[in-house]
Amino acid sequence: MWYQLAAHAAAAGTRVSLADVCGVAAGSAQLSGGWVAASRNEEPDFVMCATDPVCERLAELQLTLAEGPCHDVLVSAAPVLAADLDDAEFSHRWPAFTPEARERGAAAVFAFPLIFGAIRAGVMGLYRRTAGPLREGQFGDLLILADIATMLLLGSLGDGAVTDPDGDGSWLDGQAPDLALHRAEIDQATGMLTVQLGVPVAEAFARLRAYAYSQDRRLADVASEIVARRLRLDPDPVPDGGP
Amino acid sequence: MDADLLSDTFVELADTMVADFDVIDFLHMLTDRSVMLLSASAAGVVLADPRGELRVAASSNEAAGLLELFQIQNDQGPCLDCYRTGRPVTATDLSDQDQRWPRFAAAATRYGFRTVEALPMRLREQVIGALNLFRAVPGRFDPADLRLGQALADVATIGLLHERNVRRSETVAEQLQAALNSRVVIEQAKGKLAERLSLDMDHAFVMLRDYARNSNQRLTDVARNFVTSATADFPPLPRTPA
Repeated sequence: MWYQLAAHAAAAGTRVSLADVCGVAAGSAQLSGGWVAASRNEEPDFVMCATDPVCERLAELQLTLAEGPCHDVLVSAAPVLAADLDDAEFSHRWPAFTPEARERGAAAVFAFPLIFGAIRAGVMGLYRRTAGPLREGQFGDLLILADIATMLLLGSLGDGAVTDPDGDGSWLDGQAPDLALHRAEIDQATGMLTVQLGVPVAEAFARLRAYAYSQDRRLADVASEIVARRLRLDPDPVPDGGP
Repeated sequence: MDADLLSDTFVELADTMVADFDVIDFLHMLTDRSVMLLSASAAGVVLADPRGELRVAASSNEAAGLLELFQIQNDQGPCLDCYRTGRPVTATDLSDQDQRWPRFAAAATRYGFRTVEALPMRLREQVIGALNLFRAVPGRFDPADLRLGQALADVATIGLLHERNVRRSETVAEQLQAALNSRVVIEQAKGKLAERLSLDMDHAFVMLRDYARNSNQRLTDVARNFVTSATADFPPLPRTPA
């Protein structure tokens, strides 16, 4: 999956970006289009990229109507896989959104929260002009792409210097594969850092990743050290027992 | 097996499923009771994440060694075999010479486990995860224990899908992701609390869970509010509902 993204970006002569994630996501699952919206106050309110005008319209609709799959995913912290918008459940759930979406040509909509636990960055939405479920492999691929989109969003909001030390997105190359195998210690270390550094959770996670990148170490290894209390990140990071 | 413990367990599980349901709290209780009912040393529930991993959803204790044993089973081990075949997988006398799962067996014996059982969590044709049991002594689980263990695994599956009416097949996938994300929130909260009060992770989990029960809130909500709070005070000041 990572290589598809890198190839997509290389073809445009750029570093991997949200536009690449949307493009690869829509292409990988034979969907018609995709978009990513950043969320500031619990609402996915700022469209960062969209592959076509239908996506833009679907994103806007949900914001204006305050209902729809993208709205639901941030509440439930779970994806919404509306494989067939004609299903009665969806006109019941989104009475204003569903007919409008159908009119715009969307027969299926799949929405993914861009979150790591309590860290919320936004939503990724995808639509298809024909109804039908995702195949099993496609769902897994889209979850991975959603994680990458989350990392990109977290890097682009807030302190760019912390999360993108070389200012060119190269930090992502080493780190996205790092999340391939989820480790509880990464989440625990993130929580610990909110106290050690006195920062909100999204920034704690950014500082953890920045430290691992600056030390050229795997994120999971740094997290293990922090949880084992062999390493603290204070403003001047030193191993425990240092001066 | 203690009949009173058995009936208390089912009453407790049923209660949890009805009122203010929190899936991680439920699964954690199930692993705890599994240890007691099946005379195990440790138990855990792993769930299959479509990203391509078996992820821990709950564990009877939070010792780093036990979590590592679940981690290794992404490459080899009874849970992986159980997930792939949909059938129970047993090892009754693990040694560090094990041929089936060399890395897993070496780690398990190092942490003092000699017997391991993985029971499938099945929903119709799909295997969504496994209940993993460990014992410190070698020897088979007796058939009554295995039947009860499978029943507990089935209860775990039912509890995960707390919507009674699973009509769309996508609902399973959605609910599993919700459970996995809840787990992440709880891990973040454990870290924050452990650091704030200089506790180990197990103790931090118990504090969060006890506070949730005593204040009639869902464990995941308590965890999320704590993680996103500007302070690290615990117990937190009461919040007015939104």
